[in-house]
Amino acid sequence: MMTLTATAHMAVWGKWLGDALGTNAAGASAGNALFGIFLSLVVYLFGQWLFKIGKGFFLFQPLFVGMVLGIFILFLFAKAFGTDTATFYKSAYLPGGNIIFWFLNPATIAFAIPLYRRNDVVKKFWLEIVLSLIVGLVISLFVIYYVSKLIGLDNVGIASMMPQAATTAIAMPIAGAIGGNTAVTAMACILNAVIIYALGDWLVKFFHVNSDPIGAGLGLGTAGHTVGSAKALQLGSIQGSMASIAVVVISIVVDIVVPPFASMMGLI
Amino acid sequence: MAANDKATKTETAKEEQASPILIQMGIFAAILFVSSLISPLFPATFPVPTPVIGLVILYILLASHIVKLRNVEKFGDFMISLIAFLFVPSGIQLAASLDILKAQGVQLVVVILIATIVLLVVVAYTTAGFIWLRKNVFHRDVNVEE
Repeated sequence: MMTLTATAHMAVWGKWLGDALGTNAAGASAGNALFGIFLSLVVYLFGQWLFKIGKGFFLFQPLFVGMVLGIFILFLFAKAFGTDTATFYKSAYLPGGNIIFWFLNPATIAFAIPLYRRNDVVKKFWLEIVLSLIVGLVISLFVIYYVSKLIGLDNVGIASMMPQAATTAIAMPIAGAIGGNTAVTAMACILNAVIIYALGDWLVKFFHVNSDPIGAGLGLGTAGHTVGSAKALQLGSIQGSMASIAVVVISIVVDIVVPPFASMMGLI
Repeated sequence: MAANDKATKTETAKEEQASPILIQMGIFAAILFVSSLISPLFPATFPVPTPVIGLVILYILLASHIVKLRNVEKFGDFMISLIAFLFVPSGIQLAASLDILKAQGVQLVVVILIATIVLLVVVAYTTAGFIWLRKNVFHRDVNVEE
């Protein structure tokens, strides 16, 4: 009797939770957005707390902790519901995740403000900025191409690595056009940001990147996208402004340079 | 059209202090809306996404003094301060591609890590090179106010 009630309880609670998360067949279309928003906030705030008590240990950066912990929690939930992580992610997390994700639109636009605050630098160095981004990207493409070959990626993998300097929305279609896997490219763009966010301060110091503030800003914006721009703003107003301009200009440069580069290297 | 919209909004907040937050959000919404109309005009082979167009539009509006800093900076700085949190769903998005990671994840992550460092260092030093050229070859001014 006792065991029976326990199982019955489990079933009731499981159904309730499944309905709430939108993972049951009945609730699948509804997809409660609050779970995704709540989970994102909780894992990020936990990351902030961990970063604080960890005295700023770089692997405890809130974005990195939030990402790993969030995926792990989704993995556990998926196991508990007897489904795979990707399916559970799509039905339970994505509706809420998309709402937060949407706010990257106004947040990206907002980088026009630090850009404009140092308009004096933009006006004075616009030619150097554009030339540096074009030449810097072409050199980087060669390095990334040969590193990928050395590590043993196939042509699909290499093509997926080429457009990652651009913002995700540009990088993905370009990757598709040159024979890459768009999901891998999206992953690259995300990891770029996470890596710059976690290791940015250390990399800047180690490679003495900040000896030239304009270069530091352009580099951070190219490597870390909008997250790189936020990092650059912490270094100073010139760096922040330069990173903001890099995000825009490098995306357009990738648009123009990567397809011919890919055909030159025989990827397409 | 869009510029006129923004101009009227600027006039409604003539005082020197920051515009009300709803007005600031309205300006961002108007720019996003116009950008989302422009973005599909680009061919599929040359994609330019909405927020990139929006950044350029807001910069042009600021540079031409149609929109003043006080009309947008309170909301804009707030959004920028949130950027790491706003990336959490993108990070968690990797949950959908765990099978790719299982297949050749280590290689991909290593290449991405190296690529990130390469992009940062190469672009930074290329820039330093061009600034050096400007100073020592073309003898032009390289000083900037901190």
